[in-house]
Amino acid sequence: MNRAITNFDQKILDSIHKYSLELLSDTGIRFPSEKALGIFREHDFRTDGEMVFFQEKDIQTALDTVPSVFTIKARNPEKDIRIGGDSYMMAPGYGPPFIIEPSGEKRNALLDDVHKFCKLVQTSKYLDFNSSIVVQPTEVPQETAHLDILLATLLMTDKPIMGSSSSEIAARDSLKLAEMVWDNTDEPVMISLVDSLSPLQYAAEMVDSLMVFAKAGQPLIVHSSCSLGSTGPITIAGSLVISNATTLAGICLAQLINPGTPIVYGLGGSPTEMKTGGYVNASPEDAKHTAIVTALGRYYNIPCRSQGALTESFCLDYQAGMESAMMLTTAALSGANLSLHACGTYGSMLGMSYEKFIADEDLCGAVKKLMQPVEFTDDAFAMDMIKELGTSGNYLMEMHTLKRCRSEFFIPDLNIRTIHNKWLEMEPRDNVERAANILVKRFAEYEKPEIDPDIEKRLVQYVNQRKGM
Amino acid sequence: MAVKDIAEAVVVMDRVKVVELVKTEIAAGTEIDEILNAGLIDAMDIVGQKFSDGSLFVPEMLMAAKAMKAGLEELKPHLSAGAAVSRGTVIIGTVKGDLHDIGKNLVALMMEGAGMDVVDLGVDIDAEKFVKAAIEHNAGVVALSALLTTTMPTMETIVAAIKEAGIAVKTIIGGAPVTAAFADQIGADGFSADAPGAVELTRKLLAA
Ligand code: B12
Repeated sequence: MNRAITNFDQKILDSIHKYSLELLSDTGIRFPSEKALGIFREHDFRTDGEMVFFQEKDIQTALDTVPSVFTIKARNPEKDIRIGGDSYMMAPGYGPPFIIEPSGEKRNALLDDVHKFCKLVQTSKYLDFNSSIVVQPTEVPQETAHLDILLATLLMTDKPIMGSSSSEIAARDSLKLAEMVWDNTDEPVMISLVDSLSPLQYAAEMVDSLMVFAKAGQPLIVHSSCSLGSTGPITIAGSLVISNATTLAGICLAQLINPGTPIVYGLGGSPTEMKTGGYVNASPEDAKHTAIVTALGRYYNIPCRSQGALTESFCLDYQAGMESAMMLTTAALSGANLSLHACGTYGSMLGMSYEKFIADEDLCGAVKKLMQPVEFTDDAFAMDMIKELGTSGNYLMEMHTLKRCRSEFFIPDLNIRTIHNKWLEMEPRDNVERAANILVKRFAEYEKPEIDPDIEKRLVQYVNQRKGM
Repeated sequence: MAVKDIAEAVVVMDRVKVVELVKTEIAAGTEIDEILNAGLIDAMDIVGQKFSDGSLFVPEMLMAAKAMKAGLEELKPHLSAGAAVSRGTVIIGTVKGDLHDIGKNLVALMMEGAGMDVVDLGVDIDAEKFVKAAIEHNAGVVALSALLTTTMPTMETIVAAIKEAGIAVKTIIGGAPVTAAFADQIGADGFSADAPGAVELTRKLLAA
């Protein structure tokens, strides 16, 4: 079989690795951070100004200490998440500064939106952990916005959180708050996203937060992405090499600081819209890229991140559905272990939508069902029953069916499965309005998870103090 | 053989041919102004239009601009001293704390393509550097780009610093999270949501 997303064998992965090593040793990666450069020099890496050069053995040594599976603790131990292996963990949108309303209008996201999305994450059947910027609240002081979000995710949900990597201070704040919640923060209690800058470099503040989290042994998503045709070659092959080299360099730094730091490997490659120069996330190229990246993750034996249910659309239309489904399905089937943006994101990750969040949850549920292996146990084969019923079988009457009727199939919450007449009479019929009704229910059913009042007090105090209140 | 062939060569991105044709026209004694206006500048207007209606892609538009510039280089020694080839000078950069530059680069390239002198300061640029560059290059417009809501407040600081410095320069802002309302709020002179719009806006401000 030579379908596009399966046409990479060991040899292709070997050549991506080989070319990446070539860039790492010949061209080098730029780390504009004195602290990081100091660590590389300490370990006898060749440096030239801010450029650092890596040898094959450096990369191999680093890869050897990265765990292939790890667990992030949630405030509620039942909601701990295991990252790696067969698992696939999902978080909602990451970073959008706007809310797109059903009318199509966009407005600035507010702290109140962060709170509402926390309620949706907490009541979600499918989302496994929080985003550190489910939306960017725009009305609060931006230097401390990360504290508002961290506090919300810690108090309003009991699912795992993401740490804030927007600066070294934000990283330290994330750790401080976690120490108030968990007795033992030597184990992973959050995960944070560190993006490199393409091509072949890191931003100073990103390196600094990477170092803070690595030192504390807290997991990192080390992600590099090229915009195909603008910050990297237009070809997937060339961009892959750039991103892979850059991510490997970041992983190497984290392992030098603290061997064994849990890592999620990630490379992005989104086409540049050649008619405008714009950024396109949801595309067959990006999906194909994901498939190769997950293969590379397995090649290195590191858990792998991919993008989520992304779309370029701004409303709940066919385009939004088809693009989101293509992106998330490819990620799931090719073996991604973790997705940000699994719910709620519109147009190039700039806008969040409540209604799309609800629609995406159906997609997440369907995708999670799709990737589950088909059961082939004796009970599933049900041979005795099949023989007994022979040609006269009405399986609806069987205990076997009754026992499984609520769990065997995926049951959508928003999507309809009805006959035409019923659909015509449905009130409301429009999917956006139906999503709005589900939202009302979800907000009503939300209950703030329990927390030790002393811990809550200390968290709030810390945040207020840092905000100068 | 006519000046309009030069324009055609620009539109099809044939740099070698543009240079060759410009040389031929100069040798034939064609008015320099005509070569400039009907050959090169008109061509870029056609290119700009084709780009706006989506029939020309970004790399093609940039190559055409490059071909136009090559023709212009040939012409320069023949232009009368003080003849205004440039439509004005623009200082552009991504503001302090922000490293996104794809959009900023695109805006800069298109402005150059439209015949403006562009000084690109790069990324992570503070108010002081913008003010200094605006004075040094006697700029008509300072263009600020930001892609992060956390760095948008810096735009306000920079616009204020430019006003405080008392230099006669207009400020324009852009970047995905930036809005026209925000531009008004911080007292910038203009906003555009995309690169062609940024060129149009700058053209108007430079002409004013
Ligand atoms: C590519 C990208 C990156 C690349 C940047 C590479 C580079 N060399 O520029 C990388 C991966 C490095 C990156 C890093 C980060 N990014 Co980023 N990034 C993007 C992304 C996906 C696309 C931006 C882009 O290039 N668009 C294409 C260009 C052509 O469009 P444009 O920039 O908007 O420019 C056009 C117009 O706006 C206008 N324009 C632009 N400038 C100007 C100036 C003037 C004067 C005018 C008139 C017009 C104008 O014209 C342009 C052409 O039409 C956006 C999402 C998005 N869709 O915008 C996120 C996004 C901006 N990033 C985001 C984030 C959070 C980050 C990080 C903090 C992530 C992290 N945790 O590591 C870091 C921050 C690094 C830093 N300090 O700056 C968020 C911002 C959220 C927020 N609340 O502010 C976004 C929205 C994505 C998201 N949802 O998370 N990012």
